[in-house]
Amino acid sequence: MSSGQFQTRQIGNVRLHVCPSTKFKTTMLVAMFQQELSTKYVTQTALLSNVLLRGTEQYPTMLDLKKKQNDLYGAGLFGDVFKRGERQILHFGVDIANEQYLHDASPLLEEAVGLLCEVITKPALEQDIFVKSYVEAEKRNLKQQIEGLVDEKAQYAAQRSIEAMCKNEPYAIFINGRVEDIPAIQADNLYTYYQELLYHCPLDLYCVGDVDIQRVISLFQKYLPSEMFTSERKQLGLSQTAPVSVQQVNTVIEHLPVNQGKLNMGCRTHITVQDSDYPSLLMYNGILGGFPHSKLFMNVREKASLAYYASSRLESHKGVMHIQSGIEIQNFEKAVTIIKEQMEVMRQGQISDQELAQTKATLSNQFREQQDRAYEIVQSHYHSVLSGTNRPLEQILKEIAQVSKEDVQKVAQKIQLDTIYFLRDQGGEADEKN
Amino acid sequence: MKKIEYKQLKETLYHETLPNGLDVYVLPKQGFAKTYATFTTKYGSIDNTFQVPGKEKVHVPDGIAHFLEHKMFEQESGEDVFQSFSRQGASANAFTSFTRTSYLFSCTDQVENNLTTLLNYVQSPYFTDENVEKEKGIIGQEIRMYDDNADWRVYFGLIEAMYQNHPVKIDIAGTVESIAKITKETLYTCYNTFYHPSNMLLFVIGAVDPQRIFQLVKENQAQKKFEPQGEIERFFDKEPNAVAEKRKEMRLSVNASKCYFGFKEAPAIIANSGNNMLKMELCTQLFMESLIGSSSELYQSLYEEGLIDDSFGHDYSIEQGYGFTMMGGDTRKPDELVARIEQLFPQKVAKGISAEEFELVKKKKIGSVLRSLNSVEWIANQFTSYRFHDSDLFEMIPTLESITLKDVNNRMREHIDFARFAVSTVRPLEQSTKPTV
Repeated sequence: MSSGQFQTRQIGNVRLHVCPSTKFKTTMLVAMFQQELSTKYVTQTALLSNVLLRGTEQYPTMLDLKKKQNDLYGAGLFGDVFKRGERQILHFGVDIANEQYLHDASPLLEEAVGLLCEVITKPALEQDIFVKSYVEAEKRNLKQQIEGLVDEKAQYAAQRSIEAMCKNEPYAIFINGRVEDIPAIQADNLYTYYQELLYHCPLDLYCVGDVDIQRVISLFQKYLPSEMFTSERKQLGLSQTAPVSVQQVNTVIEHLPVNQGKLNMGCRTHITVQDSDYPSLLMYNGILGGFPHSKLFMNVREKASLAYYASSRLESHKGVMHIQSGIEIQNFEKAVTIIKEQMEVMRQGQISDQELAQTKATLSNQFREQQDRAYEIVQSHYHSVLSGTNRPLEQILKEIAQVSKEDVQKVAQKIQLDTIYFLRDQGGEADEKN
Repeated sequence: MKKIEYKQLKETLYHETLPNGLDVYVLPKQGFAKTYATFTTKYGSIDNTFQVPGKEKVHVPDGIAHFLEHKMFEQESGEDVFQSFSRQGASANAFTSFTRTSYLFSCTDQVENNLTTLLNYVQSPYFTDENVEKEKGIIGQEIRMYDDNADWRVYFGLIEAMYQNHPVKIDIAGTVESIAKITKETLYTCYNTFYHPSNMLLFVIGAVDPQRIFQLVKENQAQKKFEPQGEIERFFDKEPNAVAEKRKEMRLSVNASKCYFGFKEAPAIIANSGNNMLKMELCTQLFMESLIGSSSELYQSLYEEGLIDDSFGHDYSIEQGYGFTMMGGDTRKPDELVARIEQLFPQKVAKGISAEEFELVKKKKIGSVLRSLNSVEWIANQFTSYRFHDSDLFEMIPTLESITLKDVNNRMREHIDFARFAVSTVRPLEQSTKPTV
């Protein structure tokens, strides 16, 4: 992936990546902790993202913390977990105004680094463990968040389809954790786990804005305890996953009281971001379903008028591709047939010059556009950290430009449909309209 | 070409109104790879009854502005315009709101070709009986998607609860039944009325040279002929002070309830325009943040009581003709939440916002405006929206700096009136929502 103009410094066992830029009116700081995606850790890690935002030593309540943020011109403070292949990433960040755009404001960068470090390393404690009432409240919220996945039907269907496809692989784990793990988590054992993660999981720090790298380094050194840099951090290796070969296509139909059917199809691409044919995979996905000129949009939506959306997307660390579409329930077979046909057509190399040229142009545009958003610059660089594969912007653009029809066809021949998942209404005559 | 400098923000804006009435704005952004352009008509879902001088008064089916937006992508050549944008490396899209329809693209290459494509396709409609019919299936699925979206349903439910007559209460996409009535003739009527250049605004922002953009747009527009059109008159039924329904209830397949509530603006308020409206909007946002924003005492107590979680938020919409505050999120106890609001709001309104609270929310708002100014999309869309009610996005920070504590307390007391309060709740189905495989 592209890496912007980052300068990376190894400070002890922590990496700091700084991208100096004058085009933003704010400065963004992000800390990324890497954990293996495992049922052992997933729920605790997810819970930490909420508990650490409840209060700190200096700002012990959420209200104190929010007031501090407001005082720093509404510094955006965020914390969350996300999935990259079979990794769970816990990240915290601050986005703060650059004082040169404000009347009478004091320098804010130091305040921002101080605030981020405070949130990460100095949580509010009682008797040397997390505050019990915070942990209990956040356990309730997390439970509601996990159970609430079903409220967003498209996301729910996407997650259920991954669970069906990757039953015995960590990739199937829901990123916010599992309801059954919640009762056993307590203020003391969560605090022990937090210490473990803080000092022993791989940590990357990011800064994007109109800043000087030496200044950023010295501020992090000032506000993070020195053990953060000296403690041994575990080696998680690169985010590789074991190859899985598809024996037969698995079809799963699930019933809920819904109006629209959600069709998800999961495919094994057998190619990850680490492989040399990854740019060809990007092209394959783009031609099949990445854009409004793509085969899925043209055939499922424009020609057959079956759907409002029909698209495909890649998970580049795991090497899977997800296809999704919202359709009328009785059109299930019709839609599956059209999608399979489009994949078959690509296997046979039926790709027009126009499709190839359009996809090169739009894909390259996507990569170049990422450079205009601080958070995307960070995310894009972090892909390269996780995969150990650095494709700077100019290189990925060049590689995309070189992909031929034959390269795309070769990729098409590797791709296997693994799972068809359909979320539909409760069906049958006994069912009433809701 | 007029040059407007905003020194504090280090931004320069260029503007010209062309002879055919089209308003063109260009904002060069240093260091950006991307260019983003929006071509917007002041025409949205609420404009369903209208008249132009010399023609008859027309009432059109619900959802037609949005339907028209979909159909603009069709071209006489038979090729969807997305195809041209893709060839030129652009990402194109469009959206319809209550008051605007906007066509847009972003790209990092071939800006001039993409801009020409944008101007040309939006100014050459091509509707046939067949392509109108085909779209009914696609939009039907878009409507179905929203039917299953609990957040949209609870949001829209609140607007329906608030409004008795104003067309803001009609879903932007219409219904499967209302769009069935749409024909190519009605589409052309709407198109010819609202897509006249004098009702439109072009905004180009990013890696551009303003001189060249103006030259291109002027030459492009000079080649096209538009008959002069008088002022469009829009008709809205009178909206009373009282809400349509105090409590609106729905059941959907969700795990937890969702509860939104808010206050409708009084008729006198929504007659504002220009920088008065901007100031009133900012005062409302500031008092809402003090009253129920995440740094308010009220938010903190509701959070600790387990009545709200971090999905809770607040928002304010104001246009000429309607306006409302809206707050809410997921909750396990919607009735208790509403009861607490009804108890706590009057207390806070009586006590007023303190000087300390006011200074903090004002700082927060200034910072959030700066953060938004990183986004070319936000600038183009917000600028257009403000321009359409005669105010100026870039006046936001100076206006904020001029607002006093008294302004904000007065606005709060004017707005919070439980006679104009409504609640929309989506609750889980009584039967189990556990999936069956």
